Amino acid sequence: MSAPRSVSVVVPVKDGERYLRELLDAVLAQAADAPGGLDVLVIDSGSSDRSVAIAREAGAEVVEIEPASFGHGRTRNLGAERTSGDIIAFLTQDATPLPGWIAALLEGFGLADDVGAVYGPHRPRPDTSPMIARELEAFFAGHAAGGRDGVSPSLQREGDDAYLSNVNAAYRRDCWEQLRFPDVPYSEDQAFAQAMLAAGWAKAFHPDAAVLHAHDYPPVQFARRYFDEYRGLRQTIGHVEGFGVRSAVRDVRSLVAHDRAWMREHGYEGAQLARWTARSAVHQGSRKVFSALGSRADRLPAAVQRRISLEGTAITAPGDAGNPAAPASETAAMAVSGKPIRAASRPLAYDAVRRYAHDGPAPLLDPLPGQDADRPLHVACVIPPFSRGSGGHNSIFQIMSRLERAGHTVTYWVDDTFGLMAADRPARIRRDIQEWFAPIAGPVFKGFADWYGADVAVATGWQTAHPVALLPGVRGRAYLVHDHEPEFYATSVEAHWAADTYLLGMHHICASPWLADIVAERYGGSVSTFDFGVDHAVYHRTGAPRREDTVVLYGRDVTPRRAVPLALMALKELADRRPNLRVLSFGDAREIDLPVDYEHLGILSQRELAQVYNEGTVGLVLSLTNYSLIPQEMLACGMPCVDLAGISAESVFGADGPVALSPFDPVAMAEVIDRLMGDRDEWRRRSEAGVAFVAGRTWDVAAEQVEAGLRETLARRMAAGDAPAAAAPRSGA
Amino acid sequence: MTAEPTTDPREAELAALRAHVAELEAQLAEQTRTTARLVADAQEKLYWLERWHIDLDRLMARPGAIPALNALRRVRQVVWWLRVRKRRLLGG
Repeated sequence: MSAPRSVSVVVPVKDGERYLRELLDAVLAQAADAPGGLDVLVIDSGSSDRSVAIAREAGAEVVEIEPASFGHGRTRNLGAERTSGDIIAFLTQDATPLPGWIAALLEGFGLADDVGAVYGPHRPRPDTSPMIARELEAFFAGHAAGGRDGVSPSLQREGDDAYLSNVNAAYRRDCWEQLRFPDVPYSEDQAFAQAMLAAGWAKAFHPDAAVLHAHDYPPVQFARRYFDEYRGLRQTIGHVEGFGVRSAVRDVRSLVAHDRAWMREHGYEGAQLARWTARSAVHQGSRKVFSALGSRADRLPAAVQRRISLEGTAITAPGDAGNPAAPASETAAMAVSGKPIRAASRPLAYDAVRRYAHDGPAPLLDPLPGQDADRPLHVACVIPPFSRGSGGHNSIFQIMSRLERAGHTVTYWVDDTFGLMAADRPARIRRDIQEWFAPIAGPVFKGFADWYGADVAVATGWQTAHPVALLPGVRGRAYLVHDHEPEFYATSVEAHWAADTYLLGMHHICASPWLADIVAERYGGSVSTFDFGVDHAVYHRTGAPRREDTVVLYGRDVTPRRAVPLALMALKELADRRPNLRVLSFGDAREIDLPVDYEHLGILSQRELAQVYNEGTVGLVLSLTNYSLIPQEMLACGMPCVDLAGISAESVFGADGPVALSPFDPVAMAEVIDRLMGDRDEWRRRSEAGVAFVAGRTWDVAAEQVEAGLRETLARRMAAGDAPAAAAPRSGA
Repeated sequence: MTAEPTTDPREAELAALRAHVAELEAQLAEQTRTTARLVADAQEKLYWLERWHIDLDRLMARPGAIPALNALRRVRQVVWWLRVRKRRLLGG
């Protein structure tokens, strides 16, 4: 984010005079770091001290609200609404920003286009007790890039740690607008973090966006605070802190030992060390007891809870609310009730499946004369979300861009059920497609709000099939089938729904004869086929000297159907036979655990891949379902490769063609690779056969085959004269 | 005996209607092509705005946005006026 950004700082306050002046001065001193402007809003919820006066004196805008109307999420939403900065930064009243805080926050947003929130560490104040100081250091040390020793900013995306704290966090306004804080009693920041990551946003940790902040209390107040904290955790996320006498003693001893080690590192010795060791024992012990007690607070009488709680509040046990005088028998009958949860604002996952079950397919329009022959078509291509390097999407866009050049109008519709591309707008998606895959000319739409019909709507993945079946104003529906997707899943609803998509009455344009056989025989669907193309301008023999000891592995371990564990076993066997074996692994940013030395190439560009394929001896690309583009691209560069026998490769390459087929056995696979590397004649034969095989495989040919499939879709409609047979809706609607 | 040419008015009307439907379908197809091209062109132009999540509607709804825009237009008019004068003076 290089453009100047305005920053609004929002500070909810109640009786916060102790640090408020220091906080506001620290923020306003950094105004020059916010090139787009800086404003500060203090929201006071009934302070009885000088908080409001301090805020006004400092020049902050002050909004006063009723104490009863305060809510952690609600009040912060109010703060965001009452400000206009591009970035909304939240601080608690006792968090003092350190110099460079705003600059670091803005730098955090610049780490990637999809960063929706940035947070920073909490540093102890000089008088913070060693136990708390150590905990803070240890906790935030793990957030920087490079782990505990790291000092660089880090990015987190879906699947990463969802920690986020409104003690010190900033949000991009459009991210907040999209999600807003939930109105929950506690942990609104954590809930927001989970929602934003799920919606496709990233968050960033910047070690320089630091604040001075530590909750330090005398020992008894610490215990009471832990009681409150764990009572809140039980209420919000249901966490119950375990407790056992032996384990508690063991844990406390361990924590005290860590505290002592930290104290020694920081110059504590003699009587000071002894005194703080005693405090540490009391602190850690009371924490253990009172956190467990807080988790079970609902079992305590309200009066006892109020005495223990630092907030002086009590919660009622489920069933007791509003009826304290109920007889024991009635109370028992009412005891089973849950925490009320509001209906989710997000649509149900795969809701198109439900809508299809309810309404059935949308009626089809009649095809026009000539649409089954040579009349230009409007093709609506419905795609699932994608990222750079997606092979299936590459194939789709290569083909569709050629259909455009052949005179057809193609529109692209991204069906993003889970919000994986929530941060990307259509123009951005379109440019990404052009830069990553193929030069498409048509427009890109997100969702179907602007749907305006098409001659043929094309599903391109199982998640898009039900949505396509529901689209109105269509003359035919086709399904570009790249793989048998039910096999991507363990036993699950996804596996069942993916299988159901072959029963929706569409015409299937399949990416191999193997796939066409499955769709026709197992599901009774109508099929035609297309062959993956090869970009010969990129993938061809360069004549560069080729090494004789190099296996190029498609090591995409995150995709189970690529059978990487089997390939690794085969390479271990092979390394025992060939001590000078060189292994290059590509296709995944993450390294793999291989018991032999190897070179990790990560995700490469097409040009880099072509170079590797021209350098390697044998490719090892396994597929437990349909074959992929990669073997063809390797063959085009003159490098023969090994795939699994008995699955899809025979249907494409033949039993003894350019691809050497191996049984599903690591030792046998090592033998196949070893033979191919050692037998020059066989290597040459397969290499030449591979180059000849792929010579006729181009994306132009693939596009012609897909066009023929689209024409067949309409021809079948003309022949049938009515809507295709499809699963009937389950309601009378 | 020679066959009389068909003069059934309903057939003629049907033929005319079919021709009209074909014409409308052709217009619709052309409209679809044009729409797609216009939207694609707009997306090409809007790329940087969308890339940086700049919402012009929201931007212009801010206080002071309209006066700022008007001021910009006036400055632009002055610049154009000066350019024209310069061109006339220099005979460019």
